[in-house]
Parts: sequence; C-alpha cells; structure tokens
Amino acid sequence: MGEAVERLTRLVEAPDRYDIPFGDLRAAQIRAMNERFQERKSHIKLVEHRAREAGIREVRSHKEVVNLLLPHTAYKSYPEGWLAQQRWDRLSKWLDTVSAHRIPVNEVSRADDVDGWIEKLAAQGFFVSCSSGTTGKSAMLVASQADMSWCKKEAVATYSWGSGVKPARDRRIFGMAAIAHVPRNLATGEAYTAALQDPSCERFSYPVPPITVGALTQMVVLRKAIADGTARPGDIAAYEELSAARQKAVDAAVGLTAQAVVAARHHKIHVTGLWLGLYNVAKAVRDMGYSGQDFHPENSIYVGGGLKRAKLPQDYREFVYETFNIQPQRNYQNYSMQELHSGMPRCQAGGRYHVPPWVVPLILDKAGEKLLPVIEEEYEGRAAFFDLSLDGRWGGVISGDKISIDFRPCACGSRGPSIRDNVVRYADLEGDDKIGCAGTVDAYVRGVA
Amino acid sequence: MSSLLDIEKQAPHAAPAAVSAPFFARGALIEGEDAVHRSRDLGVDFATPRIDLDRIVHPRTEVPPLLNVPLAEIIDFLVETGRRISDPNNRFVRDCIDRMCATHVLPRAVLEHQVRVAAAYLDKRLLHTVVEQNFPDPRALDEWVARRDYTGRRSFVRAFAPRLVHVLPGNSPGVAVKSIAQGALVKAINLFKMSSSDPFTTVAILRTMADIDAGHAIVRSMSAVYWRGGDAAVERVLYRPQYFDKIVAWGGGEAIDNVVKYLGPGLQLVSFDPKTSISMVGREAFASEQSLELAADLASADVMVLNQEACVASRFLYVEGTRSEVDGFCERLQRRIAERAQACGDARPLDLDLREQIETLMMMDDDYRIWGKTDGRGCVIRSEEPVEFHPINKTANVVCVPSLDEAVRHVNVATQTVGFYPFDRMADYRDRLASGGAQRIVHLGEAGPSTIGNPHDAMYPLHRFVHWMAHEDGCDEKPRPAGEGQTRSDR
Repeated sequence: MGEAVERLTRLVEAPDRYDIPFGDLRAAQIRAMNERFQERKSHIKLVEHRAREAGIREVRSHKEVVNLLLPHTAYKSYPEGWLAQQRWDRLSKWLDTVSAHRIPVNEVSRADDVDGWIEKLAAQGFFVSCSSGTTGKSAMLVASQADMSWCKKEAVATYSWGSGVKPARDRRIFGMAAIAHVPRNLATGEAYTAALQDPSCERFSYPVPPITVGALTQMVVLRKAIADGTARPGDIAAYEELSAARQKAVDAAVGLTAQAVVAARHHKIHVTGLWLGLYNVAKAVRDMGYSGQDFHPENSIYVGGGLKRAKLPQDYREFVYETFNIQPQRNYQNYSMQELHSGMPRCQAGGRYHVPPWVVPLILDKAGEKLLPVIEEEYEGRAAFFDLSLDGRWGGVISGDKISIDFRPCACGSRGPSIRDNVVRYADLEGDDKIGCAGTVDAYVRGVA
Repeated sequence: MSSLLDIEKQAPHAAPAAVSAPFFARGALIEGEDAVHRSRDLGVDFATPRIDLDRIVHPRTEVPPLLNVPLAEIIDFLVETGRRISDPNNRFVRDCIDRMCATHVLPRAVLEHQVRVAAAYLDKRLLHTVVEQNFPDPRALDEWVARRDYTGRRSFVRAFAPRLVHVLPGNSPGVAVKSIAQGALVKAINLFKMSSSDPFTTVAILRTMADIDAGHAIVRSMSAVYWRGGDAAVERVLYRPQYFDKIVAWGGGEAIDNVVKYLGPGLQLVSFDPKTSISMVGREAFASEQSLELAADLASADVMVLNQEACVASRFLYVEGTRSEVDGFCERLQRRIAERAQACGDARPLDLDLREQIETLMMMDDDYRIWGKTDGRGCVIRSEEPVEFHPINKTANVVCVPSLDEAVRHVNVATQTVGFYPFDRMADYRDRLASGGAQRIVHLGEAGPSTIGNPHDAMYPLHRFVHWMAHEDGCDEKPRPAGEGQTRSDR
C-alpha cells in the first residue's frame, strides 16, 4: 500500500473524516489513485488493457483516471454457460482478469459445484461475493483477506457515524431477511455482532436455510437451459417445487421471528434486513397485539437497499419504525454498492450521504464517458467512484446510478462532498420502449425470474 | 373522461431542439406540439400533437371504407404511392429523411436506400403475388365467395376487412411501407403505432397517399400516432375488441408483454417475433483460397444486412473446420465487414456493455480470439461456444465446430434465417433446422431477399389478419339425418 492510500484509509475511524473539503483532498487522492494504478497495472489484466488503449502510464488528474474505470458490468462479463457446464477452470481464468492477485487456476478448478469452487478460492485467500441480482446475471466480486478485514472495520465505523449509536455490545440483533451467504456479508455480520450484540445471549439468526451462491445461480442456470432448449419439463417443475418450498420457509420465518422479537421486547434491539421482511415481521408483531410502546426507546435499525420490487403500503417505513419504537435519529441509511467496500452514511441534520476521503467521487456524463467539471453548486450525473481501500480488485467503478452531488458544505456542517437522497438507476429511469425485429431468445423464456 | 390525452405529463412546451412529428387520423393530418418525447438510442427530442382517441377509432356501426373497393384499384393506388415515394422531389419523404437523421441510429445513405427499397415493394406484380400466396382464393377479399360442400350445403365466405393496430418496430423504415401495403391489401382499418426511433416515415407515406387523393377510402382507412410503448393511459383505452380485432406487433420482451395484457376473447395477437439469424459454413469453404474468400464475402454480406440492425442479419456463424482454418475465415470476414462498414460511412461506436464483454474475452487467452477492435468498425470474435451477448453493430461471432451437425443444437425458437454454404448441403439440414425452431434456410449471402409472397415468421400473415366471415345459405336438398352432414358444432 502506498503512502497516500495509507494516509487516506487510515481516516476510517477519524471523527472528522466527512469534514474535509474536497479541495484539500484533491492532491492526496490523485497521488493515491496513482499509487494504486502503479501497483495494479500489471496485475489486473482488464486495467492493463484499458491503460494501454488509452496510453496512460501515470494518473495525474481525476480526468485521466476516468479512462481506467471499469463499468459495474465488468464483474458480470463472464459467460453464464460456464456455470451450467461447471467450467470452473474458465471461470477461474475469467476471475483472474479482474483480480489484483494471481488466481491459482489449477488449484481451484476441480470443484463439485459453484459453492465448492468458492470454498476452494477462499482457502487460497480469494473471497468471492456474488450479488443476488433478481434479474439477469449475478456479479462475481473477488476480494482479499485484507479487504475482509477492512469491511469489518469500515461497516461498523460508518454505521456508528450515521446512526449515532456507540457500539457498546448492549443490543440484541434481529436479522429479518434471508441474507446471501457470501464472504462479505459474513464478515460484516460478524463485525456487527462483535460491536453491538449483547454477549450474554446468542445473536438471533433468521430461520431460513442459508442462501449460498449455488442457490443464487441455480435460477440463472435454469434460465439458460430453457433458452438453449435443453431444459426438460421435469427440470422446470423441480425448480418450481424448490421455489415454493423456499417461499414456505420464508413465510414461516416471519412468525418465528415475530415471536422471538416480542420475547426480547424489554431489551435494546437492533433490527436489520430488507423492507419486505421488516414489514412482514412488523405486521406479525402488530397482529400479536404489540406495538411501539412495548419496545425499548433506544432501538436502532439498518435497512439494506431499496424496495427491490416489493409492493408495500405507502407508509411502510413509518409502520416499521413505529412497531419497533425506532426514533428518527437512530435510523441508519447508507449509500453504497456491492462493487465498493466503503459506504456513504446519511447524516441526520442534512439528510445527505457523505463521501469519505478514501472514496474519490467522479461524476460522469450519462454515457459514463466524460468527467463533468466540478462546479460550485449541486449537480447531477452518473456516479463513478474510486474506492482506495480496495485491495483484491480494482477500486475504480462506473455505476448505473444517477446521483446529485454537492461539493459545498452540508447543512449538518460536514465540509466534504455529499450526495442527495434521491439516487435512481438509469435503467429504471429509461424503461424500455424499444421494438425491433431483431432480438434474442431471452424474449422466449417465461417465468424464471 | 376526455378523449384528449396528454401523453407525457410534463409541460407541453417543446424544447427548442425538438423535431416535429405530426400524426395522421383517418385521412387528416394532425399537427401540434403538445407533448415532447425522447427518442431511444440518440436521445433526441421530438414533439407530437395530443392523441384524439375518438378520431382514430372507426365505429363498428360503419363498415370499413375499403370493403367494396376492388383489390385491383387498391393495388393501383399503392403502385402510384410507390412511384411518388421514390420521386426525389417528394417533399414529404425528403422532409422525413431529414428529420429521421436526427433520431435514427442508421446513417443517411442507408436510410435513403431503405426508402427506395421499400418503394420497390409497391409493385403491381409483387402485390398480386403476395395476395395469391396468402389466400387460396383471393376473390374472397373482393366478394362473398360461394361454395358448396359434398353434402350439398351452400355458403358464402368472405375475407372480411379487419380492424388492426400495427405496433411498428423502429429499426427499419421499410416495415412502415410494407405494413401500410398489407393493411390496404386486406382492406383493413389501420392504426399504426409508430416507434420512438422513427415517428416520421409512416406519416410521410400517408401524406404522399393523401396527396394522390385525399378523399380515397384507402386514405380514410389509415391513422398513425405515437405514444410511449406501454403507456397504460392510451393502451388500456384502445386495446379492446370493441375497437380492434387484432394487434399486429413486432418485437419481444416488454414491448410484447405490454400488449399481451390486453389480449382476450375478440382481441388477438399476430406477432412478428424478435429473431436472431445465423450462418452455417461447411468445410467446403476451405477447399481453395478462392472458395474461402467467397464464403467470407457472402457471410459478411449477411452480417451487414441493414448494418446488422435487421433480424435477418447474421450474428453467429458456425464454421466447420479446425481452429486454424476457422481463424483464416475470421480474418477475411473481419476485413470484409470493415470494408462494407466503411463504404457506407458507418462507424457508430459499440455500447459500453458490449465493449466490456468483448474486451473481457480478449483477456481469455486461447479460448477466444478477436479480429478488429471494439471501435465500431467491425469486429469478429472466434469461440468454441456461441457468446452470450447479442452481437450487434458490425460484430460477428464465429463459432468453430468440428461438424455442422454440432451447430444444429444451437438453433432455437428465436432462430429465423440460416444462411448456408455450400448450397448443395442445405436439403440435409432443413428438417433438423425447422424442428429446432428456424424459419428460413437461404444461400449464404442472400439473407435479405426472399421469394415473393413466402411465409414470414412461420405464417402467412395476411391470411391471419382478416376476419373470416361465413354466410350459410341452406341446403340444396333435404338435410341428411344428424351425424352425416356437417353441422356447425362439429367444426
């Protein structure tokens, strides 16, 4: 790790980390990005290719680094067929093109299934997290041991700043969502438990079987088989049966969780999950006759992600907060993306997401090609970031998000850059009004999504 | 509810750069700039009037205006339309191409060529042939055709004029001409829903027709409007069997999902499905340098049909040979594609996603090889299995196979045209290709043309458009006891 990277990432627990004006960071960030580039340019093949194409030997400005950013889709660019054909050798080779450290392809290629492959990689120090993308492909993100340690530290520090909760191991954590069983989630889960969980009792674990990468990709594999015409009716029926069984387990989990949380109502609790699960448990709690007044007034919450296509009543947020007696100041919100290893916590006073000094915000035009000039007012564009903390893969990522950024101080007093709480995906914005006679077999696959 | 719908809920003032796109409603031109829309691909704005829904629906109490106009007269009118479309002084068409250049992905020269090719469809012999291939007895379009079955029961059958909504694609202006012609040949009442990447051509042709005779029944049978595909404010109102018999739709995915919601008794879908076309090149291509050059050139012609925007354009080429032989083919193919792209000035860059996926494959050592760059000037990717992305914008995926028999398993329900070389092996493959889902097998290099009147999308579309109506006219003699004669219930 270079000197500038080290200096910026060391700020992870500094109390004033969001209070440093962008202008004061500019030189250090450019130096740090160049350090990362010099370390990685001959290791990450895709970055090496980009640098060669753009003729870049050194990063001297924010503008120059734009040529070296990878779109978020880079981590989905492997052919899905390899999953179905169990081509772990090829997938390993593919992973090697985006990995900062050489993947020992031969050592990990002999696996029985995708979970086995991921285990073998982990044994070699390569931690692959897989997105639970409900539509289309799952991203595969490789990270190192150093990244896992970083995620643990960063997640808790960011949570603490955003929620105002000082970790005191005096809470009972209630997870209310089936979380993908991937290294990064396990690492942050472990860190939250160590920081918040009252050691006198066991952390409540959501009563559903763990969702492994194998389970996540099963649907992807079947979809591909249907498209290729190789799936037999029995394969589809078996999958539908499995889905129904999973749904049943999820439904049963709601009641069990509600009972457990009601039993713990006199203790300080921390609830976490996705809106759908939180809402369902809250509703079950209300149905049991309990509500806000029965719960501890210092309870806290962390919700990951948006609605994810769930259809809930208008007031779902208030309903959840009121049920578990969560005061607005302990409602933690965070803007991030799976390609980054750092979050941007929302402040209480300004309601904006704050970019930490080791994450370089690069606001691009809609096409994701050009850096927009920094101006003295709030402006919008496509979000791209360089996360200087990343060790196992490249930190520069172009997202699919449209954001509004402001480099002036926020109402909360922090002087670092901040992002408005109105992030949307370009894909959701545009819709698809396209019609043409040319198309793919995807249009012929029904019901496996 | 008012039938005047403000399609976009945004303020009606048009941005200064917005191009104007008027509507056509049962013979009348509707101008206005009440709503501003965004064209896909280029992100250009265009302004349209509001849709007056009452004006574009023809009440069922009135018979279709074209019903009793003889087919011969309709064809004459279409032929005159074709003549005027190809006239370089036609201001509607000239204007339309100017506007289209602002919103379309294809270069001007290609669009102009498209319009000329489209006009060629409006040929007397051609149109007669289309009708003759679609209907065993084309007289049914003009009159109630008498028939008598073997039991002596008499009837009259009519290919009655239907009410059609055409959901047009945006990738080829030629489809507009063809759809107008087909709608006219079956004497339909037609509503054309234009696409955001071409909200101009259909109206330009209809204006050309109105210029011939504004009061003609053919002109009064046509309306063309734009709304954003899937806009429930329009579709929930219009897509009803009380207003239309059939929705003739192109495309798949969301475009079709939107339409499917409204289908039900009385409202059917005739779909022109989204298709992928491929090529199969046999080992005979490697017989000599000459045959290799020929096969590569023919293949490049199929890849570059409408600059690879059309469904007939080849995207995956299965080549029977060793890896080094196939590499030789790839090199030549890339060269030819690049030449064709350059000749028409097409250097549109590839989408970021596509570029990313191709560049990843470049990193994969021996398993993949790339000729050309991802710079939009023509790119060929060689692999052992077809790539999973959709090769588009001058991108061809050559799949190396030991035998073309291996390639057959890659044919699926989305496969349309299979360009084949050498031609004398086609008969060996056609049954297996049809069984897999393919619709056409053609000589390599001839993906574009087809025998006039041949089926499209595995059907005879005109035959499906019409409302088949029977007039039962009793029996010659006393009907036989039940069970022997044809009764309505045993149909």
